[in-house]
Amino acid sequence: MKARSTLRGARMQAWIFLAPALTLLAVFSFWPVAYGSLLAFTDYSLVREMSWVGLDNFRYIFDNEMFVTGLKNSLKFLLMVPVVQVGAIALAVLVNNQLPGIAWFRAAFYVPVVTTVSVVGIMWGFMFHEQGTLNYVFMQLRLANAPLGWLTDDTLALFAVMFVTLWRGLGWYMVMYLAALQAIPKDMQEAALLDGANRWQQFWRITVPMLRPTIMVCSILSVLAALKAYQEVDVLTQGGPMNSTFTALYYAYDQGLKHLKLPRALAASLVVSSICIAIALACLRYLKPRHR
Amino acid sequence: MRASPLATAGHYAILCLLAVVCVFPFWWTLVTALSTEGNVFAFPPTFWPRSPSLENFAEVFRAIPILAFFKNSVLIAACTVFWKLALCSLAAYPLARMHFRGRKLVFGVILATLVLPSEVNFLVNFITVTKLSLVDTYTGVILPNVVTAVAILLLKQAFEEVPQDLIDAARVDGASEWTIFTRIMLPLIAPWLATVGILTAVEAWNEYIWPSIVMSKPDEFPLSVGVLYLRGTFGSSTRVIAAGTVLTILPTLAVFLFSQRFFMRGMDGAVK
Amino acid sequence: MKIRNLLAASMACVSMAAGLAAAAAPLPPATTANIEFWTFSMKPKFTPYFESVVRNYEAANPGVKIEWIDFPWDVIQTKLVTRIVAGTPPALVNLNVPWADEYARDQLLTPIDALLGPARANYIPGTLQDLTFKGKTYGFPMYSNVAVVAYNTQIFKAAGLSRGPATFDEQLAYARQIAERTGKAGIAPALSKIDGLFMWQGLSVIAGGKAVFNSPQHVALVQKLAATYKAGGLLKESLFAEDNFPAVVDAYKGGRLGMLLAPPTALKRIEADAKDIYAITGVAAAPLGPTGIADGGWLIHFAVPKGVAPALLPAVGKFALYLTGDASQLAFAKLASVFPTTVKAAADPFLLALPANAGAAEKAVAVGAVSMAHSHTLYVAGIDDYDELRRSLVKAVEAGVTGKQDVQQALDQAVAIWNKKLGKQKLAAPGPQR
Repeated sequence: MKARSTLRGARMQAWIFLAPALTLLAVFSFWPVAYGSLLAFTDYSLVREMSWVGLDNFRYIFDNEMFVTGLKNSLKFLLMVPVVQVGAIALAVLVNNQLPGIAWFRAAFYVPVVTTVSVVGIMWGFMFHEQGTLNYVFMQLRLANAPLGWLTDDTLALFAVMFVTLWRGLGWYMVMYLAALQAIPKDMQEAALLDGANRWQQFWRITVPMLRPTIMVCSILSVLAALKAYQEVDVLTQGGPMNSTFTALYYAYDQGLKHLKLPRALAASLVVSSICIAIALACLRYLKPRHR
Repeated sequence: MRASPLATAGHYAILCLLAVVCVFPFWWTLVTALSTEGNVFAFPPTFWPRSPSLENFAEVFRAIPILAFFKNSVLIAACTVFWKLALCSLAAYPLARMHFRGRKLVFGVILATLVLPSEVNFLVNFITVTKLSLVDTYTGVILPNVVTAVAILLLKQAFEEVPQDLIDAARVDGASEWTIFTRIMLPLIAPWLATVGILTAVEAWNEYIWPSIVMSKPDEFPLSVGVLYLRGTFGSSTRVIAAGTVLTILPTLAVFLFSQRFFMRGMDGAVK
Repeated sequence: MKIRNLLAASMACVSMAAGLAAAAAPLPPATTANIEFWTFSMKPKFTPYFESVVRNYEAANPGVKIEWIDFPWDVIQTKLVTRIVAGTPPALVNLNVPWADEYARDQLLTPIDALLGPARANYIPGTLQDLTFKGKTYGFPMYSNVAVVAYNTQIFKAAGLSRGPATFDEQLAYARQIAERTGKAGIAPALSKIDGLFMWQGLSVIAGGKAVFNSPQHVALVQKLAATYKAGGLLKESLFAEDNFPAVVDAYKGGRLGMLLAPPTALKRIEADAKDIYAITGVAAAPLGPTGIADGGWLIHFAVPKGVAPALLPAVGKFALYLTGDASQLAFAKLASVFPTTVKAAADPFLLALPANAGAAEKAVAVGAVSMAHSHTLYVAGIDDYDELRRSLVKAVEAGVTGKQDVQQALDQAVAIWNKKLGKQKLAAPGPQR
């Protein structure tokens, strides 16, 4: 049907179309992974000739309290994943209707997602102030007798940072679940109700199983996001107090860009990348058989 | 099945409670920005402006180059949107509607970037950007993030919804791929372009870490970085910081409220 | 549809043009020297001061263009690093001593001995000493501070005390007495900086590459602190916090603390916030430790990053000497209630003379000025990731002072942690340790 020359011409054109995007992806998405992984095994520095140092950087960071705390904290962030997912599903269910004004509620829940993280940090800095609203509420509800140092107490600060990350993320997942809920065919749900099931059973027997793919995808995304959290740390506590809010990736950011210890920073980020890739691969393998 | 009025009331009550948690920090910031009297962190806290005035906002304009920040943000967002739409649609089209050897491979490669933990790339990208002399330039800010797998995938999906016969007819008529692309495909996926465009604009406007790494002159900061510069400079004037924060959020909030459906719809596509 | 196309096209053109414009960097004219200098946390209060410095210098030196940029202190390090990596560092950058120590060790600063030349003699010797690493000097001293003891005369009277403490031991004894007789806390040392405290008392924290703070003298010092703590003499709030200063000043302002060790700027704040306490505040010189060092030193200076064009250095040096010269330093010190670091400016009558109705703040300045010669920035030099080590030391001291653990045991454990770390690090030649 098509002449050979046209086919070859079409192929050329396809590559021309793809070229700019692929070049940029190569330079800014693939090259960093390769080069960064390489540099993690050297002592790259501005002032010296680079030389291979093998696992030295890794030994250093695993011996370093800031990084180890950071890694532990990043793992603690994983505790948030079920909370976020359950919360997002709950929100989605609550707004999945046509009640008057529901659009406003959806918007309200989504606003934290579209707010820049620096502003989020400033606003929650206000909320977490020793004389701030959060302490006021806690004291009124008798949950605390004295103002709590949300960002100054090294036992509380991490939870404060985690909460802000949660606050920012809920709306995003809510929208994902909302879309999934709205894709569930109405007849299935009606049929169940007609068959005598109550709301609760309908939810668990019909809705949740249909949400399963979305739950899987969102959970993986949530896990990866939790392991890579660091921006909220930067705008709220900068790793303090007493290094208690370091996360693994924040350590990389701090070491690389404040102290110019690039090989160590890259080693740390390589550790994070490896964990993320491992999880992603494990999930893909787990999910494959279920794929229809 | 109609819910009882009591159940509906309860429903609204829960929604309101949750909405308050989401929205309160914004409200408090606004109240503080408008107040001029009283202790900022008083117990009990004030929920309504005291002696409201725009004095704090005036101070922000006086003390930091907030208009410059705003202009910079607009510039970065506009350029990002343009180049992202251009390059990603250019890449999505062949993947959707052209046949060539290696198509599956390229698609796989692009998908792979989704799995790559891109957050960690900022360190090497920082080195790359300095070696290319792009430090302190907006090109350096935009370039690393201008092509993303998500945008390509969304646009690919959009292209796939265009009926194949239109394209075939045009090809039979002898039209070049470029003509098909610009005259037929792009206009037909305009709503998708708008969606990706708005999402990109907001994302670019909100980006904080990368611009703060690349730009070092305060006058050239975008708003997201500038507002932290404000906090750092005005450590003790909470009201002024609050005013600056309000000014930063306002544009995003306005765009978001007017175009909510784009955000919600964009997620739709991602879910599929 | 057509309008949409038109809009899209125009937006495209605008953003393309803007993009190209933004990417191009304006080139400076070849004949002028462009000097960019960075300060941290100087805006907005000191904007007029620095702008006038720039104006005056440019007027007196045609052919030189000065650019002043100020950053919040928590981002200046990142910006500096970015610019050094990019090869376009600022000519001068404001640093504190620990930062300078680290950057100098990583070879990210240019030594300025040649630029100082004969002007060396103008600066208080202690300040230059603070900035000398491995025999080379790395900064032009700008300002420093020294602490004074502000005390609540009412509390003192009630406790039967009549003058400020003269030594550290006396400080602790007074604190115990105040607690006994008035039930209030006497003093609130910043125990998160216990390393500085040790050094102030002449006890080294590391010697010969090993941690030595579990010696009998160190233990004795911590035990004294523990005893005072038990007697209620130490303010419990934020005693071990990273930055206990706000809590301490609050306590003093609220009349809950007998003695406050702080730079004179703090007294200005007390004057503004708590007039009643200010009225009954007496001032005494901070005790000199056995080392002869006055507490509270914190030198801020201007360093020259690595990578500044060698051809530009003489002009940079000239400007730096102007920026940190007697006149500039005195003007700044007056504005900021800090102390200048040049010999002449530090001895200026403005600082030493007491106006007729001197309040505590003015007395503090006069008292502090005399102590300036003895001011040093105390910190432990030459160690990578020092914060981590300091934290284990502070934890140990906390356990010992609050009575949760035996002091010797706690310090021994911390020493073990330090030595494990230090053994792995290739330590630089012993840095400034006093």
